Amino acid sequence: MKYLNTANQPVAIGLAHGPGVTEYISAYPELIDYVEIPFEQLRHAPQVGSIQEQIPVVLHCASMSVAGFVPPADSTLDAIATEARRTQTPWIGEHLAFVTADPLASDSESDSDNPPTALTYTVCPQLSEETVERVAENLATLETRFDAPIILENSPQYFPVPGSTMSMVDFIGAVLQRSNAGLLLDLTHFLITMVNTGKDALTEIAKLPLDRVVEIHISGLNVQSGIAWDDHATPAPAPVFELLDHVLERVRPKAITFEYNWTPHFPESVLLNQLQSTRQRLGL
Amino acid sequence: MKANKVHAVIAAGLHSPALITLWREDPNQLRKCGIEPESFDFDALQKFAGLTTKVRHNGLRLDLPLTFRLLNVAGLEIELFSAYATFRAASGSGYADTTAGRAQDLLHFMEHWLDFDRREHVLLWDMMRHELALTNLASVKPTSFAPKPSSTTKIPRPADVPRVRGTITLIELRSDPRVVATVLQEKAPRLNEVELGTFNFCYWRGENAATIDILQLNELGFCLLTLIDGATSTATLSLTITGENKTSRGIVRALGELAELGIIDFCLTKTKAVKRAR
Repeated sequence: MKYLNTANQPVAIGLAHGPGVTEYISAYPELIDYVEIPFEQLRHAPQVGSIQEQIPVVLHCASMSVAGFVPPADSTLDAIATEARRTQTPWIGEHLAFVTADPLASDSESDSDNPPTALTYTVCPQLSEETVERVAENLATLETRFDAPIILENSPQYFPVPGSTMSMVDFIGAVLQRSNAGLLLDLTHFLITMVNTGKDALTEIAKLPLDRVVEIHISGLNVQSGIAWDDHATPAPAPVFELLDHVLERVRPKAITFEYNWTPHFPESVLLNQLQSTRQRLGL
Repeated sequence: MKANKVHAVIAAGLHSPALITLWREDPNQLRKCGIEPESFDFDALQKFAGLTTKVRHNGLRLDLPLTFRLLNVAGLEIELFSAYATFRAASGSGYADTTAGRAQDLLHFMEHWLDFDRREHVLLWDMMRHELALTNLASVKPTSFAPKPSSTTKIPRPADVPRVRGTITLIELRSDPRVVATVLQEKAPRLNEVELGTFNFCYWRGENAATIDILQLNELGFCLLTLIDGATSTATLSLTITGENKTSRGIVRALGELAELGIIDFCLTKTKAVKRAR
């Protein structure tokens, strides 16, 4: 088994696990340092973990509902802890989002009458002081469950979340101020949020506590039906790399992950070009 | 507004997008839950449901790469999957367990949802059927034993029975997906330059063939292949198409052309074969 050592190491470059990744690893071992695998995938298809015989694994997660009000099941947290130990992941990347919510109950019903609503996709939370407090509480509990630290990934914001009182940048800043968590800065999510909220991405990114960035995510986006959407099947556009340059001028993350895991047909030449140009940016 | 209530509304809407339609039509449904409906952008929430549904269909990309590329280029991904998510939720049925099942379900939905006056919709409808035909034929196991034809003729007699050699799928299209595939390779595909018309395509996996041939047929050849069932004689096929008892030379010639291509051969009707054996 191979493990990622990030202490006193140059920035590691990795790929999100998906169709075609095994072939890419074999074809370009000098360009790919690790594979990022969702815990949920390991849980449902444990054989995926055998890839660690070839290459180190970083654990990603979408099950903790860090910004939610319904805690994850103990069995889920135990399973995450087991995978974190088994993979010896240097950190656990988790979405600053919710994936489970209270049931929608009418005034005459009690919440306990219905089970929580569990989603398969993480959702941007209400950006408010109330949520910040909740995230801090959740993290305080969650951090004790794992050997590896949790780092938080910024969500893409597709529409105004009712009751929000702060911007995404302020929300991330407030959460990090009240926790020890590092930041998994998804540059595409960040750009999407800026496009959808009408803000200038370069101006806003400078307001983030970039010294807390541990890992960076890069993927594609597309604008459809008047909204910018996350898209792991299309290449990251130039503005994402402008944001990357901006961040790299200020900090050195421990890892950069390319998330092109929605399609087996992602153009290999584009991936190769992006991997090489990112290594050049880092002087690797 | 309390965060947990807001999350509950968003999660419920994403989990069952039909609720979003209900809330739009009857906002009091939300007020009963202590939620002010005016604060929600239901249109955006419905589109977000489309994104999550699209992601749930990523498994289809292996077999339908050009369909998804076309959806992306035409800017139809969110629109289509948002409508599909609402439709599925309203029908109360979940998504199929297999990618083949999901593809068929999506195709059935698209048939009713697409606006065939819109060029992009026409191209999409054609491309998905084209890719599915190739996928389905690729999964057909090659025939290990192909009985020899009773007749080696390429020009059938009225009693000869044409039969298809292998497996075919016949689709009438308004575009040529092979041309669209080339256009989609461009950085900025010009879909408005794709010629529309009538294209009769036959996807053919021959006996023992490892590959699939795509034949573009004229109307008569296409019609004949839809009628050939391995039991109907040339004379009966002619009668069915022309309404006349005398076997049409044109039909015979068209069958001969199909036989030249190798897609059909001929055998004798059972009665005729018995007579000849005597």
